[in-house]
Amino acid sequence: MPALLEIRGLSAGLRGRRAVTQVVSHVDLDVQAGEILGVVGESGCGKSTLATAIMRLLVPPQVLQSGALTLRLRDGAVFELLELSESELRELRWRHLSYIPQGSMNSLNPVLRVGRQMMDTLLQHGLSSDEAFKRSVEALELVNLERKLLDSYPHELSGGMRQRVIIAAAVSMRPALIVADELTTALDVVTQRQILQELAAIRDELGATILLITHDMGVVAQVADRVAVMYAGKIAELGTVNGIFETPLHPYSQGLIGSIPRGSGQRVEGLPGEAPSPWNYPTGCRFHPRCPKKFSPCQIQAPALLPQASERWTACHLYDAEVGDDA
Amino acid sequence: MPDLLTVENLRQIFGGRNPTHAVDDVSFRMPAQPTIVSLVGESGSGKSTIARIILGLLQPTAGRVLYDGADIFKGDRKWNRRFRSEVQAVFQDPYSVYNPVYKAERVLKLVIRKFGLAKSKAEAREQMEEALRTVDLRPEEVLDRHPHQLSGGQRQRLMLARVYLMRPRLIVADEPVSMIDAGMRASFLNILQDFRDNHGISTLFITHDLSTAMYLGGEIIVLYQGRIMEQGDTKIVMKAPLHPYAQLLISSIPTPDPRQRWKEDLSDAPLTEIGASGLSVAANRDRCLFADRCPQVMDRCWGARPKLEAPNHDDEMSARRDVACYLYD
Ligand SMILES: Nc1ncnc2c1ncn2[C@@H]1O[C@H](COP(=O)(O)OP(=O)(O)OP(=O)(O)O)[C@@H](O)[C@H]1O
Ligand SMILES: Nc1ncnc2c1ncn2[C@@H]1O[C@H](COP(=O)(O)OP(=O)(O)OP(=O)(O)O)[C@@H](O)[C@H]1O
Ligand code: SF4
Ligand code: SF4
Ligand SMILES: [Mg+2]
Ligand SMILES: [Mg+2]
Repeated sequence: MPALLEIRGLSAGLRGRRAVTQVVSHVDLDVQAGEILGVVGESGCGKSTLATAIMRLLVPPQVLQSGALTLRLRDGAVFELLELSESELRELRWRHLSYIPQGSMNSLNPVLRVGRQMMDTLLQHGLSSDEAFKRSVEALELVNLERKLLDSYPHELSGGMRQRVIIAAAVSMRPALIVADELTTALDVVTQRQILQELAAIRDELGATILLITHDMGVVAQVADRVAVMYAGKIAELGTVNGIFETPLHPYSQGLIGSIPRGSGQRVEGLPGEAPSPWNYPTGCRFHPRCPKKFSPCQIQAPALLPQASERWTACHLYDAEVGDDA
Repeated sequence: MPDLLTVENLRQIFGGRNPTHAVDDVSFRMPAQPTIVSLVGESGSGKSTIARIILGLLQPTAGRVLYDGADIFKGDRKWNRRFRSEVQAVFQDPYSVYNPVYKAERVLKLVIRKFGLAKSKAEAREQMEEALRTVDLRPEEVLDRHPHQLSGGQRQRLMLARVYLMRPRLIVADEPVSMIDAGMRASFLNILQDFRDNHGISTLFITHDLSTAMYLGGEIIVLYQGRIMEQGDTKIVMKAPLHPYAQLLISSIPTPDPRQRWKEDLSDAPLTEIGASGLSVAANRDRCLFADRCPQVMDRCWGARPKLEAPNHDDEMSARRDVACYLYD
């Protein structure tokens, strides 16, 4: 089955005073219909930039540099997202593509009632007010909120409830794809669990596809079907959630998973060194300064994301027969 | 020897028309021997308020805090000076406490000067380098940098180096790792353990992230709406929590293992956070505050506040902990 969203060679960067740099580099990724795809990586590795590039919501100094994004809906409609006009996009966004930006829990308008804010967007998209009300109530139910909440102001709600309102607004048009960036980062574990379980239920109920962006390995382990590990603007490894956690192949995935504090008594060491800034990504494999397994080609040649056994793609020379020992 | 820290019947009520009981009769102690005590609880449960009181930054509505046997709000100038050097704070975003125009070297030098730690320039240099190495930073990599040129993990460790210079007996760390990436979190926590094991420094570690508390070991205190629900040996409490709230909290940790996913689906369960039901904030507090959401609630739970005491069960899992719940009295 073709992917719901096909990302090909997507690059996005930052325009500085004198130079332009690349933050996200040549990302190739298929987001399969109905899956929850987790995107993980350290702070600053480009997760949010990738999400905004997919939504075509980059704002200067961010710039889109290259690539293609193909969205294939269930009804057979196909959209080349990077070729659409702004007005075509606006129609598509949120009706079929929905985005929950990082920190959006605090973006509700403090002086407007929740119901008003949810319905306004629906009205703008041409729904009648009866229809908009019905949709809002339905959407609130999906996230375990009562309809009486429509009458409250954002400050009367807890953080978890505000985040649910944001999710409800995002899914009220029953979009095919939901891109959620650090959805539960500021919430306590019980609320986080409830919201993630609600999100999974929404996926089942609406048949939606979810791109879940997070720096929290626990969150992806709990809810994702597949995981893309990002490092310095590139996909380092992609695979099923069980595969990635049980047999990470890329040395960065290995370090990331190996450095998670677990039960007491087992000391783990952190990943050595720091993640690079996009203004000085290392040459060759961008992970090489921190890689315990680097060898001769790593400093010079960038590894390609290549298929390995069983639904796995890894960008590391260790797994590239062409480079291997003779390099 | 007196306890390092004794918190007695601490209460903090923030006024206004709807008074907030941020801290509601909280007592606990940290012994003179070096330990790590984790204070966990959801947002608004009173963790930071307790930290601010212990640091002497806020006068409690009622109750006492004893440091080394003496009331921290009743010391003379000399005692206060000693308290301020022996008890150190580490906050969530170390960025905000640094002067952005100071380089790391200056940050450390100021402490050395303020507390008269070194007799000569060479000695000061020596101390700085030792402190940085103790927190796994390479002096040549950080001394010459401004705070914004360091990563979050490096800034946090610089903060620990600064604290280490003063050789405190107690560190009060309020959400110190919540802004640090998982990859670097472990090394920060390892430093706190190293402080305890090799330098005699205790830590009161405040977090809403239970997996870091579990990693640290020591003792744990579970707060809910300003009250202690359960406290005891971290390993025992995490393995088999007794209080229904602690059970919910601990079973909700997102374990980084896809083969150990959450068992129960809570997507239709009532919301549990503070403020999620209008009820919990103002209403009657002469009851178990978790009663609204407790799956095992009984009639008596609504009648009076359950005492925090050792569970009346005669088994190994009940040893070394206290629970505030009628299921165990
Ligand atoms: N508008 C901007 N102006 C300047 N730099 C930016 C901007 N947006 C992103 N960057 C830089 O691009 C890099 C990638 O940022 P991005 O926000 O995509 O990372 P992230 O993986 O989402 O990080 P986090 O986990 O902290 O959210 C970072 O170095 C960031 O500082
Ligand atoms: N200065 C203040 N005035 C009024 N209310 C306050 C004040 N400081 C804290 N509170 C209230 O006291 C309660 C406890 O707050 P506190 O900051 O101690 O919680 P916390 O457990 O540290 O939460 P978080 O995890 O969000 O940091 C909250 O309801 C908070 O709104
Ligand atoms: S390509 Fe080389 S440096 Fe990069 S992860 Fe693989 S072994 Fe390490
Ligand atoms: S006292 Fe009652 S309501 Fe409170 S936790 Fe125990 S059983 Fe539940
Ligand atoms: Mg981000
Ligand atoms: Mg706090």
